[in-house]
Amino acid sequence: MKKKSKKALLIILAIIIIEGILSIGLNHELQFGFDEGKFVIRNIESEKSIQDQINHEFQQYHMIKLFRKFTINWSVLRVILFVDLFLILFAALVRRKMHLIPGKLQIVAEMIYSFFSSLVIETVGEKKKYFTPYIFTIFVFIWLCNIVGLIPIPGNLEPTRNLNVPLGLGIMALIVVHYSAIKEKGIKLYLKEYAEPIAFMLPINIVGELAKGISLSFRLFGNILGGAIIILVVSNLTRFILIPVGLNLFFGLFIGTVQAFVFTMLVLSYTAVAIK
Amino acid sequence: MESEIIRAAALLGAGICMGFGAIGPGIGEGFTAGKACEGIARSPENAGLLTRTMLVGQAVSESTGIYSLVISLLLIFAV
Amino acid sequence: MFDTFSLVHVAAYLGAGLAVGISSIGAGIGEGYIAGNANIAMMKQPKSNDILLRTMLIAQAITETGAIFALVIAMLLLFGGSIVPDAGWQRIASLFGAGLVMGAGSLGTGLGIGYAGGQACQGIGRQPRESKVLTANMLIGQALSETSAIFALVIAMLLLYSTPDGNSIVKSFAFIGAAFAMGFGTFGPGFGIGIVAGKAVDGISRFPKQSSILVRTMFVGAAVSESTSIYALVIAFLLLFVA
Repeated sequence: MKKKSKKALLIILAIIIIEGILSIGLNHELQFGFDEGKFVIRNIESEKSIQDQINHEFQQYHMIKLFRKFTINWSVLRVILFVDLFLILFAALVRRKMHLIPGKLQIVAEMIYSFFSSLVIETVGEKKKYFTPYIFTIFVFIWLCNIVGLIPIPGNLEPTRNLNVPLGLGIMALIVVHYSAIKEKGIKLYLKEYAEPIAFMLPINIVGELAKGISLSFRLFGNILGGAIIILVVSNLTRFILIPVGLNLFFGLFIGTVQAFVFTMLVLSYTAVAIK
Repeated sequence: MESEIIRAAALLGAGICMGFGAIGPGIGEGFTAGKACEGIARSPENAGLLTRTMLVGQAVSESTGIYSLVISLLLIFAV
Repeated sequence: MFDTFSLVHVAAYLGAGLAVGISSIGAGIGEGYIAGNANIAMMKQPKSNDILLRTMLIAQAITETGAIFALVIAMLLLFGGSIVPDAGWQRIASLFGAGLVMGAGSLGTGLGIGYAGGQACQGIGRQPRESKVLTANMLIGQALSETSAIFALVIAMLLLYSTPDGNSIVKSFAFIGAAFAMGFGTFGPGFGIGIVAGKAVDGISRFPKQSSILVRTMFVGAAVSESTSIYALVIAFLLLFVA
C-alpha cells in the first residue's frame, strides 16, 4: 500500500514538472537575456497589460459560418469533438476485450460505472435505474471537458469556459427532469404541483424551476472561467514560473472533478424530487 | 453629464445588489447543508430523503440570490 | 480643497486599512474558535495532545490565509507603486475598491474555515483514532471555502493592476460596484461552506462508518452554497470589463 502511494506521488510530481515545462515552452513565448546586469526570464506575452489579456480571454473564439446561416464556435466545438472522440474510442476499446475476468481497462470502467449505478439506485430507486447511462455520460463528459485544459496545447480551452456549453447541458438536464416527471405522474398531477402548498406560491415555484437551470449552468461556467482568469493573473505576476502549474492542478483537477460530480449529483437529485 | 451619473449609479447599484444579495443565500444554504450532514450522520438509512430535502430547501433559499443576479444584470445591460 | 493627488493617497491608505482591518475580524474569531475547541478536546484526551496541537496549528494557518492575502494587498497598495502623481478618478476608485474587496472578501471565509477547524479539533477529541480522516476532510472543506477568498483576491489584483488612468465617472463607479459585489458576495458562501464542512467533520467524528456518504453530501451542499459567490464573480467581471 505504501509503495503504491509513493508511486502515485512520483507520478503526480512528474506530471507537474512536465506540465510546467510544456506550459512555459509551448503556450508562451519566452525570452532569456540580461537586463540591467541581471539574468531575467521574460515573457513577451505578459508585456501586454492584464486588461488586454482578459479582454482577449473573452474574445478568443474563432467563429465559422455553416451554410451561410448558422454561426458555429469552432474553438469550442473542436475540443468537444476531441472529448467525444476520446470517449468513443475508450468505450470501443473496453467493449472489444470484455472478459469475465476483467483486464485493467475494464476494471477502471466497471469501477466508475458501478459507483454511479449504485448512486442512481440509492437516489431514485431500483426500478428507475435506466437513468444510469445518462447520469454516467454527463459526468464523464463534463469531467473530461473540465480537465482537458490541463493538456498544454495552444488554443486548447476548456469548453465549459464558454457559457453556452453549461447552459446547453443545464437545459438538457431540465428537459430530462420535467419529461420524466410528466411521464411518471401524468400531466394533471404535474401541473397541480406548481400550485402547492397554496395557489399563491405559483410564481415562486416557476421561478424556482428556472433558477435550477440558471444555477446549474452558472456554477459550472463561473468556476471554470474564474479558475482560468486566476491562472492568467497569477501567471502575469509570477512570470509563468511554477505557481501557476500548481494552481492549474487545483482548479483543473480538483475543482473540475468536484464541479462535474456536483452537476451530476444535482441533476440526479432534481430528477428524484420530480418523480417521487 | 446627467446620463453619465445615472449610468454610474446603476452600475454601483448592480454591485451592491449582488454583493449584499449573496450573503443571505450563502449562509442559509450552508446552514441547510450542515444540518443535513448532521441528520445523515445520525440516521444514514434516510440519506436519500435528507439529501433530497436539503436540495429542495437550498433551491428555495437560492431564489433570492437569483433575484439579485437578475436585477444586477438588468441594471448593467438594460438601464 | 482636495486635489486628485492627495485623494489617491486617501484612497490607498483607506483601502489598506479596510483590507487588513476587516479581514482580521474573521481570521481572529476563527483562530480563537479553533484554539478554544482544541483546548477542550485536549482536556478530554490528554494523551493525543500532539495530534491535537498539530491539527490546531494547520487549521489556524489556513484560517490565517485570508488575512495574509489582505496583508499582501495592503502592502501593494502602500508600496506597490500605484500612488502616482496625476492620477484620475478611476485610479482612486480602483485603489479604494481593491482594499474593500479583499477586506470584506476574507471576512466570511475566516469565520467559516475557523468553524470547520474547531469542529475538527472537537472531533479528534472525540475519536483520536480517526484523526487522519478528520484532518483530510477538514482540509478539503477549508479548500472549498477558501475558493471564495481566492476569487476576492483576483478581483483585488485586477483592480490594482489594470487601472487605465481616466476620469470617467461611469468606469469609476463600476470599479466600486465590482468591489462591493465580490467583497460582500463572498461573505455568505465562505461562512456557509465553513458550516457545511464543520458539520460534516462533526458527523464523521461521531459516526466514522458514514464518512463516504457524508463527504458526498458535503461536496454537494458546499457547491450549491458556493453558487452565489460565482454569481458575484460573474457580475464583478461584467462590471470590470464589459460595462
